[in-house]
Amino acid sequence: MPILEYLQIAIPELAEGLLITFRVSFICLGIGMLLGFPAALAKVYGPKWMQWLVTGFIEVIRGTPVLVQLFLIYYGLPQFGLTLSAFNSAYVALGLNSAAYQAEYFRGAIQAISHGQMMAARSIGLSRLKAIRYVIMPQAFRFAIPAWSNEAVSMIKISSIVYLIAVPEMLYVAKELMAKYFNPFQTYFTVGAVYLIIIGSITLLLGQVEKKLAIPGLEISTRGN
Amino acid sequence: MAKKKEVIVRLENIHKKYGEEEVLRGISMDVEEGEVVILVGPSGTGKSTLLRCINQLTVPDAGTVVVKDMELTHPDTDIDKARSHIGMVFQEFNLFNHLTALGNVMLGLTQVLGMDKDEAEAHAKKELDRVGLSDKYDNYPGQLSGGQKQRVAIARSLAMDPIVMLFDEPTSALDPELIGEVLEVMKDLALGGMTMICVTHEIGFARDVASRIVFMEHGDIVEQGSPRKMLTNPDHARTKQFLGKISSLH
Repeated sequence: MPILEYLQIAIPELAEGLLITFRVSFICLGIGMLLGFPAALAKVYGPKWMQWLVTGFIEVIRGTPVLVQLFLIYYGLPQFGLTLSAFNSAYVALGLNSAAYQAEYFRGAIQAISHGQMMAARSIGLSRLKAIRYVIMPQAFRFAIPAWSNEAVSMIKISSIVYLIAVPEMLYVAKELMAKYFNPFQTYFTVGAVYLIIIGSITLLLGQVEKKLAIPGLEISTRGN
Repeated sequence: MAKKKEVIVRLENIHKKYGEEEVLRGISMDVEEGEVVILVGPSGTGKSTLLRCINQLTVPDAGTVVVKDMELTHPDTDIDKARSHIGMVFQEFNLFNHLTALGNVMLGLTQVLGMDKDEAEAHAKKELDRVGLSDKYDNYPGQLSGGQKQRVAIARSLAMDPIVMLFDEPTSALDPELIGEVLEVMKDLALGGMTMICVTHEIGFARDVASRIVFMEHGDIVEQGSPRKMLTNPDHARTKQFLGKISSLH
């Protein structure tokens, strides 16, 4: 089959897979941030037991392959009567995985903020929570953008593993196309090209966000990492 | 006879240890309304620690801190509320880096005092005008000189309408040519009747406006008195030696 003809068939199908890739990636990045940022706060400001809890969670997640985590949740939990759909397993596994990494990125960003910022905030009478909300958070998010971009890019790529539990994302679609048309090179090349374009765009976009949010007169330090 | 002035800050037997090192060994001191007290002494003597014990940024191991009618060392005291009445200026300025000069002054007004945005902005502008920064409202800390940063920091504290102002080596991080503008603001403040406790080695400033110089060493008050007495005729040889040394430097 000529390549152009093949692409006309393949691209619409891959696009549907891509939407699922986006859905899984963005939901998991979202879960990762919702859990990761508070975890980072707990690790920096929380009581000792909370710091240990968060550290334990991060080390377990980082110390095991994400595929093992995914299989444990999808294949392992049903053994205890807890069956999650393929999609939900993907959200839980990749979401928790991302939370661990994001917690570390945010912790780094929080600790890059000088201790004096917190002292000054407390000295004008802000409570600890308000100091975190109005002084620490806005700076920590800015500091975290470069590392967070890496996490976003890495999530979009890593989300492809959920094809192994039959979530119909882009790689899964590619595998089906290939089974039908027997042209692995054209198929994987196209998939690779689509990833490259998507990730390139996201990198550019987040670079713009970083520039836009840079604090005037402080550009150099926000470019850390 | 003049009526005895109200005691604004009362420190009783303040102790603080860092590990084995005893930084404060039972400091007691009263500061009356309108007094300008200068804390001097060799570095590592506990001056800054003492200052931070007043607003509990450092919690003393023992002792009592009372500011006006608030006992800050009492566990039932609302410490955030108490701190909002105690201004503090840091050596490293510690302006909020992500906020403009105006934003720095407004944050406490909106989030601690609960002013609405317009009211806070008008008030913040007034405070910045007072320290001579009417043209810098929208500048971020990274766009200000050290002296300007410190003046914003002073405005940020003054905006909260403090009962007392604490200055922790406010000019030590400044280039020499920028020290004057900060001291000028502090002098105005002192002459305006603000109660102030300053850790500083600016002896000229002390001579001009201090009610009292307190000389500390090894976590204790060695001697205190009027600038005239402390600078010309102190009781202790060590006071004379130390103040003589820093006078000759400034």
